[in-house]
Amino acid sequence: MMQDQEDPKFEQWLQDAARTTYHAPRTTPRDEMWNKIVAARRNKRVIELRPWLRWAVAAAAVLVLGIGIGRWSTTRTPGPRVANEIDSLASVAYQIAATQYLSRTEAFLTSFRADANRSTNTARLARQARDLLTTTQLMLDSPAADNPRLRSLLEDLELVLMQISLLNPVQDGHDRDLITQGMNQSNVLPKLRSAIPAGPVPVRTEGAL
Amino acid sequence: MDESQLIARVRAGDSAAERALYDAHVDRVYRLAFRLAGDDALAQDFTQETFIRAFDRLGSFRGDAAFSTWLHTITTTVVLNGLRKVKRFRQREADIDDAHDIGVAQRHAEPDLKVRLKQAIENLPEGYRTVFLMHDVEGYTHEEIGVALGVETGTSKAQLSRARAKLRVALADFAGEWVQ
Repeated sequence: MMQDQEDPKFEQWLQDAARTTYHAPRTTPRDEMWNKIVAARRNKRVIELRPWLRWAVAAAAVLVLGIGIGRWSTTRTPGPRVANEIDSLASVAYQIAATQYLSRTEAFLTSFRADANRSTNTARLARQARDLLTTTQLMLDSPAADNPRLRSLLEDLELVLMQISLLNPVQDGHDRDLITQGMNQSNVLPKLRSAIPAGPVPVRTEGAL
Repeated sequence: MDESQLIARVRAGDSAAERALYDAHVDRVYRLAFRLAGDDALAQDFTQETFIRAFDRLGSFRGDAAFSTWLHTITTTVVLNGLRKVKRFRQREADIDDAHDIGVAQRHAEPDLKVRLKQAIENLPEGYRTVFLMHDVEGYTHEEIGVALGVETGTSKAQLSRARAKLRVALADFAGEWVQ
């Protein structure tokens, strides 16, 4: 085939052109990245010291969001009728943890979108987004994400939080607008709000996640 | 100290060895991440994620292949998955914009090689683009690419050949430069 014929001159020209012009990397920011790696691993170890938390969040998501999502889900599978007292107690704990996470995320994104005059410090926003992103990714890795609608919501949240966590202080005005437009386009906040069960936010669990 | 000794020290919890292992490989990981992502913040993020996963999973590294090969498998997984998510996000943003702002017509009006090359590479299918950037731009062998992407060496070669063919067609306006 003509298309597959080799042309050493073209290949050499292409390699030279691509190496020098296409996404040419700058000097590796070694120390900057290393410091972040060390901090992230330290933070991860703290979470891993509490393995129950991971499954608590996952189970809570299934239990709580299964009810909450019912408002925007067309099908609803009846839950098992077998529930003993231990399960009931555990589910309450899980419900509190998951509701706390969703409520914090909803509050954060609402304030982000409403902050039209850019009064909130970019570094602070990015830090808050990273904290929530960690929990979101834990939930995505858990059985909670087996629910397609919940998974879709979590993936939407992950994208938004990732973008906010990467905000550049120098040109964040335009980036913030793009993120806000994306949030509006994908209806993240309405979906998130409808997934939060009605009732007061369990403020006493502040920091549990 | 050779690399297997260094890895053994990392497994034993030696933080200085972790840093030494990182220093030995970070340039290549970051370069690949940057080439694929085209964005410094994303490249840094992907590089960090790669090393976090690598250190966490070092216990599963059995030494059957070179450490760099194992590491680049993690790198490509992290970068390609990350880029798919970002692409999905950016697609939503693009959908908001007027279609004429992102029209293809600009490609033909833009005579600059850098811009045309960028467009041509980014229009390649993901597999072709990845193989092209790894082999022709970053100098990975087909064997390394095959392991990193989980494909046969022959597949890597075939994808590179098709990538070059597509680029040759897309850059035909510049044929005078390479025919010389």
